[in-house]
Amino acid sequence: MASDSVIEISGLSKTYGSGDKGTLALNRLDLRVNRGEIFGYLGPNGAGKTTTIRLLLDLIRPSAGSARIFGLDIRNDSVEIHRRIGFLPGELTLWEGRTGRQIIDYVGSVRGDAKGIAKHADELAERLNLDTSKRVRDLSSGNKRKLGLVIAMMHSPELLILDEPTGGLDPLVQQTFHEMMDEYRDKGKTVFLSSHVLSEVQAICDRVGILRDGELKAVESVEKITNVEFHWVDVTFRDAIPAGLPQQLEALPSITDVSTNGARIRMRMLGDFDPLLRAISSGYVETLHVEEPSLEEIFLAFYSGDKES
Amino acid sequence: MIGSVFIETLKTTWKQMVYWGVGLSAMAILVVIMVPLFNMQDMRNLLESFPPVILAMIGVGQELEIFATNEGFVAIGFFGKSALIFAVYPVVMGMRITANEEDSGTMDVLLSLPIERARVIVEKFLAYGVSCVGVVLLIYLGLHIGVLFGGVELDVLRLAEVTFYLIPLMVFIMAATMLIAVLARRRVVALGIVTAFVIASYMLQTIGLAAEGTVAEPLGVISFLTYYNAGDILAQGFIWPHIAGYVGLSVLLLLASLYRYERRDIGV
Repeated sequence: MASDSVIEISGLSKTYGSGDKGTLALNRLDLRVNRGEIFGYLGPNGAGKTTTIRLLLDLIRPSAGSARIFGLDIRNDSVEIHRRIGFLPGELTLWEGRTGRQIIDYVGSVRGDAKGIAKHADELAERLNLDTSKRVRDLSSGNKRKLGLVIAMMHSPELLILDEPTGGLDPLVQQTFHEMMDEYRDKGKTVFLSSHVLSEVQAICDRVGILRDGELKAVESVEKITNVEFHWVDVTFRDAIPAGLPQQLEALPSITDVSTNGARIRMRMLGDFDPLLRAISSGYVETLHVEEPSLEEIFLAFYSGDKES
Repeated sequence: MIGSVFIETLKTTWKQMVYWGVGLSAMAILVVIMVPLFNMQDMRNLLESFPPVILAMIGVGQELEIFATNEGFVAIGFFGKSALIFAVYPVVMGMRITANEEDSGTMDVLLSLPIERARVIVEKFLAYGVSCVGVVLLIYLGLHIGVLFGGVELDVLRLAEVTFYLIPLMVFIMAATMLIAVLARRRVVALGIVTAFVIASYMLQTIGLAAEGTVAEPLGVISFLTYYNAGDILAQGFIWPHIAGYVGLSVLLLLASLYRYERRDIGV
């Protein structure tokens, strides 16, 4: 991977409103995204992910700080930057009365190479199994998302900026999307994507930046972040929780946050399942449910320190 | 590519243009075929019996002679009475330039493409301006159809000036709507302000016409509708200073919109 930066953000801040009613959405963000990497931009709702993306696209103007994409200023050189990037908004809205084909032609004509772009758009649509002859208003949310991906990628941009790209896509299409991202990386192109889906981030991202309350808390490799992966485990017994089991589980080094509700016991588990399975074998287990933690929980575990970490 | 937004806007607007044009044209046809039902001398006597405020409300000034003709009847019955209706189409189009797309979110997609904000506004403004011309042409066609099928003696060429005078008026209303939408940001807010602006202008025009010779007369001067008076146009033809005023103000409103839109956040 080359080390030169595609995105360079320096002290970028954004406040909505002014005076006492102003809301600080992004606070002095410093960030670099390298050429040829897939960078995951993570954080809970309202953390400032979309604000960052809209600033980079020059849709909104910074209250302070600056940013450069391909070494070009996001404000003064926005047209040149936009020529070289593809964008998929988180809440995608397209022209409802137009068909996918008409929108592809429109976007292609604004980009200035309608014919060449349309050919690649057809390939992408076929790969994503998208029917471009339907009007947008007749498309499901997943198919609208596919159309958004086609529009973002059809001119083979050097940088893709994707806001929650796989929301609403079925698992098969998500898999295709992951493959497409891998191909992008192999071609030396860069992807900046926001997501809150752990499996997606694990599958495709090289590095992640974690944003919270408008502040960048960390930038780490995906391996490092997901090393602290834990699970929420729910066990439901047929009769009742065996006597002393909660205390027994609490004593295990890999288990925390044990709570009970009737015949159900819930806990946070880090590492191997074996100690847990041995402990609960004293009762008749009716169901066992394992839940993936949210990225924010992983992040908190990573930075607050965990029993085993 | 230059012109791509212009062409797309026309593609997505032509149907509405035809619907509005046909609707207004049907109104024009109706008024034209009603002409033989009226005796114009009786019409003049009737108008003379009206108090100034009522005449003002139907767009009639002091030039009653003009209205005692077939052309004058159409001028009152269609162009004078319908001033507010003519304002609706350019308001709808003016809202589409920025407000509708910002509210729906499609402006984010459009402005993420390699295109300047100014180009988006100018190309859309021109396309909607062309659609206003289309609506006016359909209205003029309606006058001809009315004459053809109603067997009415009507000098449609005399009404051409009254008809085509609508173009600068509609473009001005569209430009004003666009600036209000650019300033107000939200579609609902902008629509409220524009509606108030148009109704206030109508009221001021009415007061100005009704209160001639009084201290309230100057109020009419500040209404943009005052400069579209079907009777005056019928009597004098194109009133170039008024047309220049509409065009000049439209250009100023466009420039103000470009200036403000270039500097503000989108969709916030």
